[in-house]
Amino acid sequence: MTTATTIPIKSDDPNTEFACRTIDKKERSLLRIVIDRVADRCRSRSLFILHYCTGCGAIELPPTITSRFDAERLGIQPMVTPRQADILLITGYLSIKTLKRVILSYEQMQGPKYVIGMGSCTINGGMYWHSYATIKRLLEYLPVDMYMAGCMPRPEAILQGFLQLIDNIDKGRANTWEDYYRNYDYYLGNQQALFGPDWHTPTDVIAEARHYNLFDDNTVGEHTALLAKFASEYVTQPIPVKVLPREEIVE
Amino acid sequence: MSEQLPEVLESVFREIPNLVFEAQAPRRLRVKLRADVLPALLELLKGRAGYLHLSAISCVDWPALDEFELVYHLWSYEVKTLVSAHIHIPKQPGHYVSVYDIYTPAAFFERDIHEMFGVYFEGSPSMEPFILTEWSGPPPMLKSFSTLGYVEDTFGWQDYSPEWLKEIEAKGGGIVE
Repeated sequence: MTTATTIPIKSDDPNTEFACRTIDKKERSLLRIVIDRVADRCRSRSLFILHYCTGCGAIELPPTITSRFDAERLGIQPMVTPRQADILLITGYLSIKTLKRVILSYEQMQGPKYVIGMGSCTINGGMYWHSYATIKRLLEYLPVDMYMAGCMPRPEAILQGFLQLIDNIDKGRANTWEDYYRNYDYYLGNQQALFGPDWHTPTDVIAEARHYNLFDDNTVGEHTALLAKFASEYVTQPIPVKVLPREEIVE
Repeated sequence: MSEQLPEVLESVFREIPNLVFEAQAPRRLRVKLRADVLPALLELLKGRAGYLHLSAISCVDWPALDEFELVYHLWSYEVKTLVSAHIHIPKQPGHYVSVYDIYTPAAFFERDIHEMFGVYFEGSPSMEPFILTEWSGPPPMLKSFSTLGYVEDTFGWQDYSPEWLKEIEAKGGGIVE
């Protein structure tokens, strides 16, 4: 699949000859709003965590999920596989090597999915700021719903964060997982900057973005163009080439 | 020779030319010797004194001397004395012989030192990247490698100035640089 087929980005634009106005993609019908509201309420009451415990923050999780602080009364409990989990909990620093595994786990999770960066290391590198081997800002590589600052945050702080996340999901504000599909080119570009231009995962994110109806202007770009070259065995659909508007084309 | 030195170690040390040793503590010996006779020392220690355990090989980068210092930590369950054998090798070309044929665990330590310091061990079974599989830069544990410079070139910084911090900064406090 080396020759990428050109598909116009806005293929689902309404035919303006018949439609009297352009329909906003984010616009929902009243029924849809009610269904989403109910679904969000249900979703926020039952969350499974995939705890990615390569960092030191893992030590705060046993008291959080066991009898003393008992996170299960909030409907939150650990889950063993990414495919069944809702929350990806990153406990502390990530080295460049483990970040690869985090991205693989994250892409296996089913939407809607939420990422929590726990500890200062995921915000700015924390005490590993001078380290050549750890990444500094998690949100450059994955969309992060919530940070829990601290080195390490106590179980009380973790529960506070969980409650805030539950509230965000309930109100329909925890939508950063859609951002991964809408701005996939940005995230992939940052990942390629670390892992090299041939970096790819077995997940066809662009096809998933179409499936979730989240394909947007920034889903594809110069970085996803490299996928056609290096990840052809995993690409299920031709990767569209970004079509620039006429005035942006530099002769 | 010191009185506390076990006889078997004394007989081994006599065979090695230009060997200097010093007892740092009871049952802890620091041995300095020429780089070319180190394999002979290891063979003698293993054969005569029961030094079966190579605990670790450590490497020190000395930029002023332009040398690497390799330290072989050995333990015997019979003599019960830790021997740390120190050798110096020139940084250029930074080659040394592997002791894999005497102690097989050396392969692990040598591969690690090759990755972190760039010392090449001739005869070691594998010199492939081990931990830093995503690394393409210079060996990161060298003193000449600037980790802060690398971090500032590679990674971004995100500003964090919440309201509560501004109040503290107005009173003269804040984040200590």
